[in-house]
Amino acid sequence: MAEEQKKTEYWRWTESRWTNPDIDWKQGGIVSAGVDVGSVSTQAVIMVDGQLYCSSSMRTGSDSPESANSAMKWALEGTGLTTDKIQATVGTGYGRVNVPFATKAITEIACHARGGNFIYGPQVRTILDMGGQDCKAIRCDEKGKVTAFLMNDKCAAGTGRGMEVFADLLGVHINDVGKMSLQVDTEPPPVSSTCVVFAKSEASGLLRQGWPKEKVLAAYCSAMAHRVVTLLERIGVEKEFAITGGIAKNIGIVNRLSKELNVTPLKSDLDPQIAGAIGGALFAKVLFEKKGK
Amino acid sequence: MIEMYKEWYDARHEYAKEWKKKTGGKVLGYFCTYVPEEILYAAGVLPVRILGSHETQNLTEPHIFAMFCPFCRDCLAQGLEGRYSYLDGIMIAQSCLHVRQAYTSWDLHIPTEFSYYLPMPHHVQSPHATAFLRGEYELFIKKVERWTGRKITDKDLQRGIDIMNRSRNLMKAVYETRKKEDVPMTGLEAMQMVVSSQMTEKAEHARITEGVLNELEGRSRGKEKATRVMLLGSENDDVKFIEMVESLDAVIVHDDHCTGTRYFWDTVEANGDPLTSIAQRYIDRLPCPTKDWPERRRVERILQFVKEWNVAGAIIIQQKFCDPHEIDIPAIRTALEDAGVKVLFLEFDVTVPVGQFKIRVEAFLEMLSGDDLF
Repeated sequence: MAEEQKKTEYWRWTESRWTNPDIDWKQGGIVSAGVDVGSVSTQAVIMVDGQLYCSSSMRTGSDSPESANSAMKWALEGTGLTTDKIQATVGTGYGRVNVPFATKAITEIACHARGGNFIYGPQVRTILDMGGQDCKAIRCDEKGKVTAFLMNDKCAAGTGRGMEVFADLLGVHINDVGKMSLQVDTEPPPVSSTCVVFAKSEASGLLRQGWPKEKVLAAYCSAMAHRVVTLLERIGVEKEFAITGGIAKNIGIVNRLSKELNVTPLKSDLDPQIAGAIGGALFAKVLFEKKGK
Repeated sequence: MIEMYKEWYDARHEYAKEWKKKTGGKVLGYFCTYVPEEILYAAGVLPVRILGSHETQNLTEPHIFAMFCPFCRDCLAQGLEGRYSYLDGIMIAQSCLHVRQAYTSWDLHIPTEFSYYLPMPHHVQSPHATAFLRGEYELFIKKVERWTGRKITDKDLQRGIDIMNRSRNLMKAVYETRKKEDVPMTGLEAMQMVVSSQMTEKAEHARITEGVLNELEGRSRGKEKATRVMLLGSENDDVKFIEMVESLDAVIVHDDHCTGTRYFWDTVEANGDPLTSIAQRYIDRLPCPTKDWPERRRVERILQFVKEWNVAGAIIIQQKFCDPHEIDIPAIRTALEDAGVKVLFLEFDVTVPVGQFKIRVEAFLEMLSGDDLF
């Protein structure tokens, strides 16, 4: 019974953790952390002297402090590093005020700009953070400081949560959704509504009409990309452009977005989903340095 | 003394009922700040502004389109709920279609002994506007006289002007104190001062404000370092939102709202005929966007406030579906940004999604703060 239930969890994206083998925290000076408790996922990042040391990314539970604790615990696993060695922590994301061990809470808007700057370099001027439950278009300067931002309104369309709903409806694992949506000969018209609930009913209708899953996914990804483009156009896209958040890993959205905007987003080997936590850890380092003075 | 404003604000209906019992006078509910309260005070009538209660409701669904602004629906709901049952009359001065719908629907469903639609001209920039409005005031006065059974003399009108001007000048003096680095009052207190003045007898309100001015002299809120913010928009008495903003590292120092400066900033300048003077005041006052064309005179005033009150950031609060304000926003945003003032735009409904707005306001304040974290 339990196994059967597990099979149907198409929305469950892969949780992960990572340690940088080139860094030995025992040699370093400042150990700082950032914890990004989002509405859907939680990330913890630990940096040593401003260098990425280890990270974790997992699903947010119903309890924000507990999610922050688990992500932190998992990130530290096997490193020998313990929480008492961390000199400063910044909490960010939807649950930013509920990070129990945080020195300060800073918005995910500021943290994604700072983290985007770290991941993609100081040439980044526009960052699109596609999160679990909202979407932010951020403009920043060469230091990664926010100069303008826009957020989507009170609805989950064009967000990770919407994608999870579609993965579930179509029985396609969320990690494969993007790739599969590109397996169409011609791009179908986008679903007319980007409201997740309405789009879901529309998609059910298309499936009944005999549309293959690939085509339905293409129609949804294209609607989602289009919706985000309108947000970006309101704020203006200045090069270089980068995407952070979980959806940055969805090639079906990223490709359509680049095509519509006529801008290629920067690439990196780092996980774009930990950008917010990286920003938090970098801010934490500065907070610690300032305190020492 | 300053807490009196909140008391009045919270107990607006009890106040009006009490006033009626005490004086035996008539209470009139009005829908827009273009209603000439000078004339009502001259007639011995107590004008009280009809405002919403910021609660969700579905009473108004059969009466007003869902794509009309939340404010006009919230106002009508108060009438349909029976919360203004003590009113002897209602009136509106032509403002926008949405709030006029609230007035006409109220008139239809909640009968009162007096109801008046005052055709306040939209084209206030026309050279004929003052003369037109003066003519309309004459008709209005006749109706009021018939209602109250009492003649309104020039002396009465002068008394009405004096009452209103005194209240306006005192509130302006209070706003002056907000220029200080250590702003002695919160934006919420300022908002409640202005809104309570719309709901209470002006002379009584003025007496309290005189005391408040003394009280403010030695008052410190310890927010010298906080970001100085101005609020702009249509009608705003969103307590929860203002509280949330001021719970952060921000202090609201000025506003452009009809529950703020647009209501009281301009006084009546005496120029012989009292009725012409009153008309002139409403034609020249800080305009509502429905009346601010072809030239946008509001922008210049906003920029002046920003400069004098040393504003760092402006939050534009837009009532959902309020087209007149919406159309002004690009011009205001551009003017503010050119003046070096950052702008945050938020769309408001009857209730405020505090969490979602909080992250936007926090990020806005982080953007305005120095480079401490870099």
